[in-house]
Amino acid sequence: MAENGEEKWLAVARHIAKTLGRNDTMADDILQIFSNFDGRFSREKLSEKVGEEDPRAYAALEQTIKALERQISQYVTADQPIWVDSADSSSFLDAIDELIATVRDWTPMAGDKTVGACLIRAEDLMQQAMFRVEDEFRLLMERGGESLELSRTYGNGESTGNLSFDSEDEDEGVGISCDNGEDQQIPTARPITDYDIVIDALPSGTINDLHEIAKRMVAARFGKECSHVYSSCRREFLEESFSRLRLQKLSIEEVQKMAWQDLEDEIERWIKAANVALRILFPSERRLCDRVFFGLASAADLSFMEVCRGSTIQLLNFADAVAIGSRSPERLFKILDVFETLRDLMPEFESVFSDQYCLFLRNEAITIWKRLGEAIRGIFMELENLISRDPAKGPVPGGGLHPITRYVMNYLRAACRSRQTLEQVFEESASPLPSKDDRDSSSSLSVQMAWIMELLESNLEAKSKIYKDPALCSVFMMNNGQYIVQKVKDSELGLLLGEEWVRKHNAKVRQHLMNYQRSSWNKVLGVLKPDNSSLAPNVAARLKEKLKLFNQYFEEICKSQSMWVIFDEQLREQLRISVTKLLLPPYESFVGRCQNVPEIGRNVERNIKYGSEDIEARINNLFRGSGGSAGGRKSR
Amino acid sequence: MPATDYQGSTAGFPSFGRSVFSFQRDQVHSMDAANNNHDSGAGNLEVDLDAFQRQVANRFHDLWSSASASSTPEGLLSVGWVRKLLDAFLCCQEEFRAVLFNHKAVVFRHPVDRMVSDYFERSVKALDVCNAIRDGIEQIRQWHKLLEIVRCALDNQRSLGEGQFRRAKKALIDLAIGMLDEKDYNTTVAHRNRSFGRNNPSAGRDHRHLGHFRSLSWSVSRTWSAARQLQAIGNNLAAPRANEVVATNGIALAVFTMNSVLLFVMWALVAAIPCQDRGLQVHFSIPRNFSWGLPMLSLHERIMEESKRRDRKNVCGLLLEIHQIEKCSRVMSELTDSVQFPLTEEKDVEVRQRVNELSQVCEAIKDGLDPLERQVREVFHRIVRSRTEGLDYLGRANHSE
Repeated sequence: MAENGEEKWLAVARHIAKTLGRNDTMADDILQIFSNFDGRFSREKLSEKVGEEDPRAYAALEQTIKALERQISQYVTADQPIWVDSADSSSFLDAIDELIATVRDWTPMAGDKTVGACLIRAEDLMQQAMFRVEDEFRLLMERGGESLELSRTYGNGESTGNLSFDSEDEDEGVGISCDNGEDQQIPTARPITDYDIVIDALPSGTINDLHEIAKRMVAARFGKECSHVYSSCRREFLEESFSRLRLQKLSIEEVQKMAWQDLEDEIERWIKAANVALRILFPSERRLCDRVFFGLASAADLSFMEVCRGSTIQLLNFADAVAIGSRSPERLFKILDVFETLRDLMPEFESVFSDQYCLFLRNEAITIWKRLGEAIRGIFMELENLISRDPAKGPVPGGGLHPITRYVMNYLRAACRSRQTLEQVFEESASPLPSKDDRDSSSSLSVQMAWIMELLESNLEAKSKIYKDPALCSVFMMNNGQYIVQKVKDSELGLLLGEEWVRKHNAKVRQHLMNYQRSSWNKVLGVLKPDNSSLAPNVAARLKEKLKLFNQYFEEICKSQSMWVIFDEQLREQLRISVTKLLLPPYESFVGRCQNVPEIGRNVERNIKYGSEDIEARINNLFRGSGGSAGGRKSR
Repeated sequence: MPATDYQGSTAGFPSFGRSVFSFQRDQVHSMDAANNNHDSGAGNLEVDLDAFQRQVANRFHDLWSSASASSTPEGLLSVGWVRKLLDAFLCCQEEFRAVLFNHKAVVFRHPVDRMVSDYFERSVKALDVCNAIRDGIEQIRQWHKLLEIVRCALDNQRSLGEGQFRRAKKALIDLAIGMLDEKDYNTTVAHRNRSFGRNNPSAGRDHRHLGHFRSLSWSVSRTWSAARQLQAIGNNLAAPRANEVVATNGIALAVFTMNSVLLFVMWALVAAIPCQDRGLQVHFSIPRNFSWGLPMLSLHERIMEESKRRDRKNVCGLLLEIHQIEKCSRVMSELTDSVQFPLTEEKDVEVRQRVNELSQVCEAIKDGLDPLERQVREVFHRIVRSRTEGLDYLGRANHSE
């Protein structure tokens, strides 16, 4: 071959001289330059043939091509895969290399008839070789995957990815592998908690073989075919992986029509799948692609995009469908999960999809992530609507806790477990301008929360009007207000709303307490007040009358208010104490006054029904609720 | 392979989000104020509604005239025309949105609110069409790639031999299979195996790879149907009755108009671009008494005619460029079948001329698809955005009742 190579060079030099030299003298000069440049281009070898056909060089070309034809056709027609034998494959590759080099070297002289004819034969050979190599490439891709499948079944394919991505119970996994008969061997492996894994979908040797083929195909301008075969195979693999992750292809409408429970399950699966895809599958694909197309960056990027495009769009479409779906408040928590998943995967999107072909996938991911933020804001808006539209259907017995209070407060508390995420979501929507100085005192989320609390309170205010008794109305407000403050105080909500808010609302509860006392006990206290005319002659009768009135009022209050509810034990105790303190001193002094009047004092037992202990006992009987149903139990 | 930056479109969102906050604080106020302004706003409303109708009519007249002038780059069902159609949709939608949000007090109240939310529901159905169309564009891109292989095989070579033609032919056959309708697929693959067996020892051996150029799958479930989706968009769509028009201060007409535009645009997209279970037999009731009615009807008729033409009956999309791909690949196939080697000079010239034509088709597709896909995405985003906005207002309007 060495001699052939030299012939080739000589022919090239002569060709250059012939084309560039406009006359023999110039051509001769050029040849002189060549001969000075390198001893191999000696004048004897070159000059004698100037200006005439060179049968020796052409004969060498003929010979080369003939030899290559012989070698290559032996591989092209082989019945068995060539890459099972590394000697065969490497000599096939050598032949291809020589063919590529021959074509490259002789193409400048294609204008020459003989050379042109040879080149046509060479191109013909090239096409046959490339078709064969393409088939071998595909076979390697498929076989490589299969052999790994095999090694997986033996259980200990360390880095080969013995994974089922499934943290759910084993029954389901087993069920699945039984469904598709052939795949019975799919192991249901240990669940993944650590995403820091790279799967080598193909054995290292196969990857090298693929790389060697890819190099030749690209060099022979068959890069498009190569990349196409590569991406179709890998795309199939990815789709297969996705279906193993039990991810369905769903249209937006299907997602919208899905029952929420089913959608919740789907979201769970999606979160797992998105993590597996972005943290394991895509980076592994990237690595594989970069290794197969090593040194062929453009082919690598394009192929990688083709592999991942469909799966990525499938993933993103689902998140998008969730974002576009219903704004029912119960959905908040799952949508937060989806939002957080995408947010946390952003660095992966950035790193995996950073090249020019994939950039659009990354941008799509950002758009849809933002859209999920909007969906979350939409849910809060819907919550506001629900609160302010909630009608006052009937009074809660005993002025107890209204279900809406409990619902909203527990909802907000649960929501605030994702406080940082929510802050991020609401910060997005807020104007960036105001309040840079007192940032922590009123974040967008605090404003949002304060607004919801305001809506809740005004709704409760409206609901309280349903009670005819103003005292009961106050008890209702007190109960709900107390509940709100309690739920705020010991949670993230408290941090958001601030101490000032808590103070203000504590004061409101006290205000309701005062209102209660006033509207329910003032009448009684009025009776006990000493009047200035106590020295009047009919004092005994008046006191008797008052005593009777007091007993009547007191009994009425005790009767009705024992059915009332103060859900909070401490508040109930506090209320009883303050009522006792309010009532007992004036009562005792009233009783003292009565005892000073002989007509009454003589018959204390009969006239004065309640002693101090009795009053206290009766007051301690207040707010027990009706059979402990509505608010009697300690609520949490 | 669009390296699209959608920052632009997302940047539009915060402005509306901001308004939510300012709105919340003095919401009761603004609702009352809106009520008081009701009468003074009505005059403007009429002007706005007229402008909207005019806009829609202009756009459709324009679409009709470019469709009729055959030699423009925006001839009926060309990529250029479809882009113009999408442009028209975006503009109409924008104007419609402006009408809605400039007259919130009337719009987001009974009885208009129900019509508006009906429109939003229909437009959500269009989102799935947009996604399917995006898949379809990707499909065309795959065909384009095969065509590029043909070009690569036969272009820019000093001498053309059998090898190059065989390479081109393989790509052409893959292309032909790729462009088949789902139903015809299986029968033809068998045929391909037979016809491609000779000269290529490996082709007969490996049947599996024949399906590879087809393996691009849709991103929706197998049961999804573009035809059914179109039907759902058009379901119960009827021109408003006179009393409805009066009761809604004429807004009912605008809503109906926008619904019709939505349906037509989605229908035309499905007509033009491959997607799962295409079907054009959607009930259209376009009343002629709208200024946009006639051009829309005429376009509808023209596209229906186009779909019934003998050579276009079984195609996977009426897009002009798809037709060109087909034509081109047919011509090339005939050529590759008929050539004798060595090539005569005459034949050589002809081949080069054909390859030249093919290159032009390739270029047109290459340049057209990316912007088209971006635009389809933009339609998607706009629909979502205006629906989100609408839902916000609808929610709040109820809220202050």
